[in-house]
Amino acid sequence: MEKERLKSLTAVHVKLLAFDLLALTRTPHTFSRRGLFLSRAETLGTVTSRDHKPGRFLKFAVDDGTGCVPCILWLNHLTSPHFAPRRAADQDGLLMAAGVAASQSSEVRIGAVVRVRGRITSYRGSVQITVANVVVERDPNAEILHWLDCLRLARKVYDRRSISCP
Amino acid sequence: MESAVKSGALLSLEDLHPSSPFFADGSSLRVIGKLQEYSSETALAIIVDGSAKLKVNTNHLRDLSFRAGSIYQFIGELHIHQPENEAILQARVGRNVDGIDLNLYHQSLQLVRQFQAERTGNRMAQ
Repeated sequence: MEKERLKSLTAVHVKLLAFDLLALTRTPHTFSRRGLFLSRAETLGTVTSRDHKPGRFLKFAVDDGTGCVPCILWLNHLTSPHFAPRRAADQDGLLMAAGVAASQSSEVRIGAVVRVRGRITSYRGSVQITVANVVVERDPNAEILHWLDCLRLARKVYDRRSISCP
Repeated sequence: MESAVKSGALLSLEDLHPSSPFFADGSSLRVIGKLQEYSSETALAIIVDGSAKLKVNTNHLRDLSFRAGSIYQFIGELHIHQPENEAILQARVGRNVDGIDLNLYHQSLQLVRQFQAERTGNRMAQ
């Protein structure tokens, strides 16, 4: 079967160590790593800073031992103009999303180990994650397994400039 | 926030010796070890890993309870006290990690540091 060559992994959350994530190259509409386009990422590590503005946002940093990934969880679903079209079209859904985000924000505490998934964005020239979801990891081996996943994926998948798909 | 928080470099206690590049005042480190002693009066803890030990100042950690024999992980800054050249970690984050697979942790830590050194050309990471 002929294989299709892709140069993008924008539809999945890539698992990257912090130093690798923070070194992504910004392109006009997305980010790239060694020529591979990426738009979503997953990180896992210890929360080492927390800046909470109720009803607006929660900014926090996740330290995985190789770097600190800045993360932002928006909490302004009910007030931001960005969400205005969705407020008009799906108020119940938006209320639910606001409740989930508020609940997740209360779980993010200094010293907790969290797994964060979201969009790769930038703020003042630095890479950050705009959080889609964040969960607290209670397994003491979770960080180790994440490191090993990141190493395996980097070497076997992300380092290839294009991905072969059957 | 982004520039204020330094990442704690992954380090085994056995690699923290006076000739190590990490043995420097202000180094941000992440260490792990078994709690040997804890004083609630001074908030000083001593953790051990194999034959290596480290004193950890935990006075900023309000919500952590300490139990001798349990495994703890700390992130913080190293302070070198003279003239004894004694290293004390001023912890800003700590947690109990009882149940961690220490052999897997140490092996994985080496792999992560090796990978990071390959990619960044930073020999400190090795």
